[in-house]
Amino acid sequence: MPSLRSLQRDFLDALLGAGQIEGRLGLYQSNVRANFSDSLRSTYPAVRRLVGEDYFRQTALMFQRSHPSRSGDLAHAGRGFPEYLAALHGEDQYRYLGDIARLEWLCQEALLAAEHAPLDLERLRAVAPSDYDALRFELHPTLRLYQSAYPALLIWEANAANDSEPQLIDLRTGGDRLALMRRAGRLTFLSLRCGEFAFLEALQRGAPFGEAIAGAGACERQFDAGAALRRFIGAEAIVDF
Amino acid sequence: MPASAGIGLRAQHHAQVLLSSPRVAWFEAHSENYFADGGAHVQALERIRARYPLSLHGVGLSLGSTDPWNRAHLENLKRTVDRFEPALVSEHLSWSSVGGRYANDLLPLPYTPEALRHAAARIAEVQDYLGRQILIENVSSYVRLGASPLTEWQFVAGVAAESGCGILLDINNIYVAAHNFRFDCLEYLAGIPRGAVQEMHLAGHSRIELHGEPVLVDTHGAPVCEAVWALYGAALERFGPVPTLIEWDTDIPALAVLQAEADKADALRERHHAVAA
Repeated sequence: MPSLRSLQRDFLDALLGAGQIEGRLGLYQSNVRANFSDSLRSTYPAVRRLVGEDYFRQTALMFQRSHPSRSGDLAHAGRGFPEYLAALHGEDQYRYLGDIARLEWLCQEALLAAEHAPLDLERLRAVAPSDYDALRFELHPTLRLYQSAYPALLIWEANAANDSEPQLIDLRTGGDRLALMRRAGRLTFLSLRCGEFAFLEALQRGAPFGEAIAGAGACERQFDAGAALRRFIGAEAIVDF
Repeated sequence: MPASAGIGLRAQHHAQVLLSSPRVAWFEAHSENYFADGGAHVQALERIRARYPLSLHGVGLSLGSTDPWNRAHLENLKRTVDRFEPALVSEHLSWSSVGGRYANDLLPLPYTPEALRHAAARIAEVQDYLGRQILIENVSSYVRLGASPLTEWQFVAGVAAESGCGILLDINNIYVAAHNFRFDCLEYLAGIPRGAVQEMHLAGHSRIELHGEPVLVDTHGAPVCEAVWALYGAALERFGPVPTLIEWDTDIPALAVLQAEADKADALRERHHAVAA
């Protein structure tokens, strides 16, 4: 009698395979495919609207064959889909699709990340100015940094809701440099200048304040550290140190 | 957990439950839907939990898999149980992954002594890890995985006896499997020990034709059918009044429809309880 392990391997190979299975076993295969593509449909609503329902489902199933789910929590099924779309479309008419997907993945992460209270300003005021450079600021757990060569936020906003009016968006209208985060339960987007982006990126990898300012100044000569700090504390992007 | 009928909690109903505090005895939520560190769903469940008894029902642990444990999943489950302090925690007597790849579906185990020992050992490990007893649910099935020398009820009862877990008896799943594999539902009930059943599930199914043969499919997308209500009556007689859940996962109707189904289950329970008393 085959072992339990070999029975399971053969069964799963059949379910995840490319062939269409008929009969009762096919009921499982349809479930496995539908559960996976439904998860991607809910993670990537704008991509789905951009390419249409049928094409989205076909692409999701191709993705499932090469990148099957690795988690018992279906919310993770869409991990890697942005990179897959980017590679699939290269420089064709859908070359921006991977970037839209990457934005949607980060939105999902932001919607599921932990809460955090705003920064305690009294604690910060108690720090001696000579110690500022060594401070390591913490960003809000929901904050994600995002860059694209395309007007991704505009494309996403025009497509994330299924009932919005179609719009013409010129891909050459310029790229995006954003921080996105959840505030009071809703996604919010902060448009960033190059120095601000470098500054937050440095803080996110744990760099001290002084080093983050130096990095920001290297890409934006006018970078004003005090103004940036006020902006990001006010926006609750910086929440602790 | 009250021995009355509860309702499967779905995100579509969060707002209504929080705004109007509807008359519902208890809610059951899918554990994985609340694995996140934060966000709207987790917050909603925290508030609902403050007002209603809760059961957490897992769909992704892959209990019967021959893979090593997915530690991240187990840790998430424990964290979720610690966070919401549910009255009941349940999982499915099935598997969904092997070689690290997931089907994210409830796949059948073969009913063999090997699979029985394996499932029982895994359940015991989960119970040790969580520091509490869990319930395991019989799944509906369409194919048998390999030869099955044991009956399904021998398998379910054996796993419970060997692991010390409780049983979540899904009445609809028994009905579906009995049709698909031609066995007698009452023989199934008689094979499950009286004291082991701590919860029951009721749901709708659909009937399809495959190569001219009718097959029942567990869709959780329809009202409970008359035959399943009758089988529930027989189960109440054997197992006494236990918490019973109305499950509805696809084409989710208004909460009032689910409340009406729960009322029907309560009425049936009261009638059987009165007869028994």
